[in-house]
Parts: sequence; structure tokens; C-alpha cells
Amino acid sequence: MPFCNKNLTPLQRRSMQRMGSVLLLTVLTNLTNPHFPNVFFDLFPGLLRFLSSHQDAHNGLSSALLVGSLSAISLLPVLLGVWVAANYLKAEPDEFIRALVIRALLWGFAVTMAGDAIVGVLMTYYSRPFPISLLNADLFFASTGIAFRLVQRSYR
Amino acid sequence: MKNCLRTLRAERGWSQADLAQKLGVSRQSVNAIETGRFDPSLPLAFKLSKLFELPIEAIFSE
Repeated sequence: MPFCNKNLTPLQRRSMQRMGSVLLLTVLTNLTNPHFPNVFFDLFPGLLRFLSSHQDAHNGLSSALLVGSLSAISLLPVLLGVWVAANYLKAEPDEFIRALVIRALLWGFAVTMAGDAIVGVLMTYYSRPFPISLLNADLFFASTGIAFRLVQRSYR
Repeated sequence: MKNCLRTLRAERGWSQADLAQKLGVSRQSVNAIETGRFDPSLPLAFKLSKLFELPIEAIFSE
């Protein structure tokens, strides 16, 4: 069975390791809200103090430059994730596996967008922010993984 | 699309894994093509044609 640990090709293994790193980077770059847990805040307490000092209780971060920088940082894992997936799909020699992965990725996107819509409603209803970037990454990776298994099973 | 891949493979005494190895694809791919649930691309069809020494239309039919 492809994508079982023992049967992974070097390309698949490398791509999965890279995706794991992207997931970790998503967690690390979740600096949008100082109230969410982040390893960087534990390692660099000054960063947390800096962000908190620039945060207004009602209007969020007060510095436009800081907002821009944080947005750029949180963009990194998304771009890297797309780069890893694109490179894998370009290099995968087995067209059947490529078709399965594309279908699984599409399901992953669909579930993530549906999750975003639900979280949007919940955030409005409860008037408080959720760690949406973490939720997106988790949802996307989990739903893509499950979708891959289900799509693969449909071909047995 | 229908195909006679299973018959051709059996005639040569190859397993799905053997054929997959010769084609450079996974065994699941061979199984999906044999059962008609996945249509191979033109390059893969040419590989099959070359491997079985038969024209593509002798292996695949509508």
C-alpha cells in the first residue's frame, strides 16, 4: 500500500518530512495573537512583551509595520506548503498516485474552507478570535490525510 | 475504457507487482488500470504497448 511508512518512496518520504516541517512552522509563526500558545513566546519572552505592548485592547496591533511583518511571517508556511506539494506532484512518477494525491488535496481544501466558514460564524457569534491559522493547518493536514485513505480505499 | 491487461499479464506469468516494477509505477496503479477504474496517460499506454509488443489499440478498446 503506498504511503505506508515501510513502502514510501524516497520522494514521498522526503515530501512528507517537508510537510511536517511546514506544519511545525505554522505553529511557530502563529504570532498573530499573544494569547495563543507559542514556543517562540517561551523562548523569547521579550517578543511577547513587545507584541503585547503594541496591542490595543479594541483595535488590535497599533503599528502598521508590525501588522505587515506578522502577516508576511504567517504567509511563509502557506507558501512553503504549496511549494512542497507542487514539487512532489511534479516529481511523482506514478500518475495514479498523483491523481489520488490531487483528489485528496482538493478534499483537504474543501474541508478547510468549510471549517473556515464555520469558525467565521462562531467568531462572530461569540465575539472572540480563534487561533484560525492553527485550525486551518490542522484541518487541512488531517482532512487531506483522511481523504487520501478514503480515495485510496475506493480503488481497492 | 476496457483493456486486456490482466490476460496479457497472466499469459506471461507476471504478477501485478512484476508489471508495476517493469512500468515504474505502483501495484495499485496496475490494479486500477486492469479493473478499468483508471485510464492511463498516453506515455504509460505507450510503455504498455512496448512492453507487451502490441499496438495500443490491441490492449485498450472503448
